[in-house]
Amino acid sequence: MELREAEVKLTPSVLDIDFSETQKRICRFIKEYVENAGAEGIVLGLSGGVDSGTIAALSSLAVAGKNVLGLMLPEEENFNQKDIDDAKVVIEKFKLESSICDMSAVMECFYKAIPLFDPNDRLCKGNIKARTRMIYLYYYANKLNKIVCGSSDKSETMMGYFTKWGDAAADITPIMDLYKTQVRNLAIHLGIPEELAFKPSTPALWPAQMAETELGIKYETLDLILYGLERFMTPEEIANQLSINKSIVAEVKARWLANEHKRKMPIAPKIGFRTVGNDFRLPRHIY
Amino acid sequence: MKDKIKLALAQISSKREDKEANLQKIEKLTYKAKEQEADLAIFPELCLSGYVVRDQFYELAETIPGPTVEKVEALAKETGMHIIFGMPELSEKTQATVFNTAVFIGPRGLIGKYRKMYLPTHSIFEEKRYFRPGYQTATFQTDLGNIGLCICYDLFFPEVLRLVRLKGAQLIVCISASPAVRRSYFETLACARALENTAYLAYVNLAGVQDGLQFWGGSRLVSPNGDVLAKAKYDEEDFVECEVDYSELRTAETFIPTLRDLRPELFDKLKEYSERL
Repeated sequence: MELREAEVKLTPSVLDIDFSETQKRICRFIKEYVENAGAEGIVLGLSGGVDSGTIAALSSLAVAGKNVLGLMLPEEENFNQKDIDDAKVVIEKFKLESSICDMSAVMECFYKAIPLFDPNDRLCKGNIKARTRMIYLYYYANKLNKIVCGSSDKSETMMGYFTKWGDAAADITPIMDLYKTQVRNLAIHLGIPEELAFKPSTPALWPAQMAETELGIKYETLDLILYGLERFMTPEEIANQLSINKSIVAEVKARWLANEHKRKMPIAPKIGFRTVGNDFRLPRHIY
Repeated sequence: MKDKIKLALAQISSKREDKEANLQKIEKLTYKAKEQEADLAIFPELCLSGYVVRDQFYELAETIPGPTVEKVEALAKETGMHIIFGMPELSEKTQATVFNTAVFIGPRGLIGKYRKMYLPTHSIFEEKRYFRPGYQTATFQTDLGNIGLCICYDLFFPEVLRLVRLKGAQLIVCISASPAVRRSYFETLACARALENTAYLAYVNLAGVQDGLQFWGGSRLVSPNGDVLAKAKYDEEDFVECEVDYSELRTAETFIPTLRDLRPELFDKLKEYSERL
C-alpha cells in the first residue's frame, strides 16, 4: 500500500496569502516593537525598490509616517535619478519624513584609506557600499532614538543574496518571512504603484547590477523552489513539478544551505557552560 | 453545586519575566470579574512568566504552593472568586525540574494543578527543552461543578480531554499560548473536543507579541454541542464574560450520545497500534 501523501503542488497559487491579515500582523509587530523599545520611530533606507517601499509603507501604517524617516543614500558610481524619484513616490504617498545623504565622499575615503583596496573587485567594493548604508542608518537611529527597519525578503535571505552586516543589519525585518513575489503583491495591496512593485530588483552595489541576472533565475521560479525546500520537498520532486532541470534546483539548494552562516550570529567554539549563538538561549528583550 | 456559573475569560498579554506586573494584571481582572459577578476567572498558559522566556524559565519557576500561589490564594479568598492561570512550576523534589502548569485556586485555597502532558517541540516550540511532561489528567469536584484542565497542545490529543470527561468533567478549561499561524487548528479543535465529549469547553489564549511570535487571542466558550457561545477579540487583550448552564449537558448527552456509545475495547487497540507506529 502506498502510504506516502500526495506531494505539495507547486503552482503559483501556493504563494497566495491573505494580504489584509499579513498587513495587520506585520503592522502590529512593528508597532509593538517600537513601543516596547521606547523608540521614537523608525529609520529605514529607501532605495526606490519594492522591498524598501513596502517596509516604508508598513512602517507608516504602523506608527504614522511622521515617525518614519526614509534615508535615500545615493553615491556617485550608482547614482540613478529614477531610483530617487521612485523613493519620493513612496515618501509622498505614505507621508514619511525623509532625507538624502550623498555617500560619495565617504566612499572615496574608504577607497583611498584601505591599503588592500582593489577598484576592479566590484563585489568587495560593493559590499563597502552596503555596509556604509548600514552605518548611516544606525547613526540616525542612535541620534534620533529610532530603530532600524531592514528590508530583506525571504528569497534573498534564503539565497544569501545580501551583504553580511550590510543590508541585512537591522533591528527588525518585517518582510523577511515573505518571498519576493509575495512582497510584490503585498506592495500592490498597500497601494504602491504597479510600476514600482514590479520594478526589477537590484542591490545597487555596482551600476546595472540586476538581481535576477545574478541569481540566474526568475523570482517566480525561485520562490516556488524555495517554497518546496521550506516544506521538505526533495530537489527531484521540485524539479519534476516545475518541469525544470534538477541541476537548477540543486544549485538553489546548495546556496540555501551554504549561506546559513550569513543568517546567524558568528560561531564560537563550545567551551563554557552556555555558549552565545549555541545553547545560550535568552529571551530577546527590546531596548 | 450551582446550575449555572459565570466565567470571565481574561485574555491578557504577558510582560515577559515580570511576574509582579503579570500578577497585578491577574489581580485587577479578578476584581473586575468579581464586580461583574463572575464565579471563575481564567487566564492564559504561562501568563505569569511570559511564554517566550527560554532559559529564564529556571529562574521564574516556583513551587506550588509557593509565593505566587499564596498571593493568588489570598486574592481568591478576598474576592470569593475561583481563578485558573498558567505558570512555570518548579518541582519540590529537585532543583531544576520545571513543569508547564495550570493552577486552580478557589476561595478556600488551592484546589489543584495540572501539569501539561503534551509539550510541543517542533516548529517554533521548544517546550520539551525546558519542561517535564505531566503524567496525570486533572478533573476537580468544586463548588462550581466538575472542572477539568488541559493546556494548549493537549487539545490535539482527544484522549486527554476524553479522560478528563470520563473522570466527570462538565466544564473543561483549556489555557493556551497559541501563535497566530495556528489559529484555524485551535478554532476547529476547540469545537470538536467540546462536541465529541458533550462538555463545555472554555479556551483562553494569550494576546500580544513575544519575540516576533504573535498570539492570536480569540478566547471562547464552546457549548456541549459545539457552538461558540462567546468569543474574545483576535490578537488583542480582551475580557469576556459568559455563562455555563449545566442543565444543557443532559440535552446534549441525549442528542449526541458519544459517551453512551464509547467502545472501550478500541482503547486497547489504540495503545497497541500507537506503540507500533
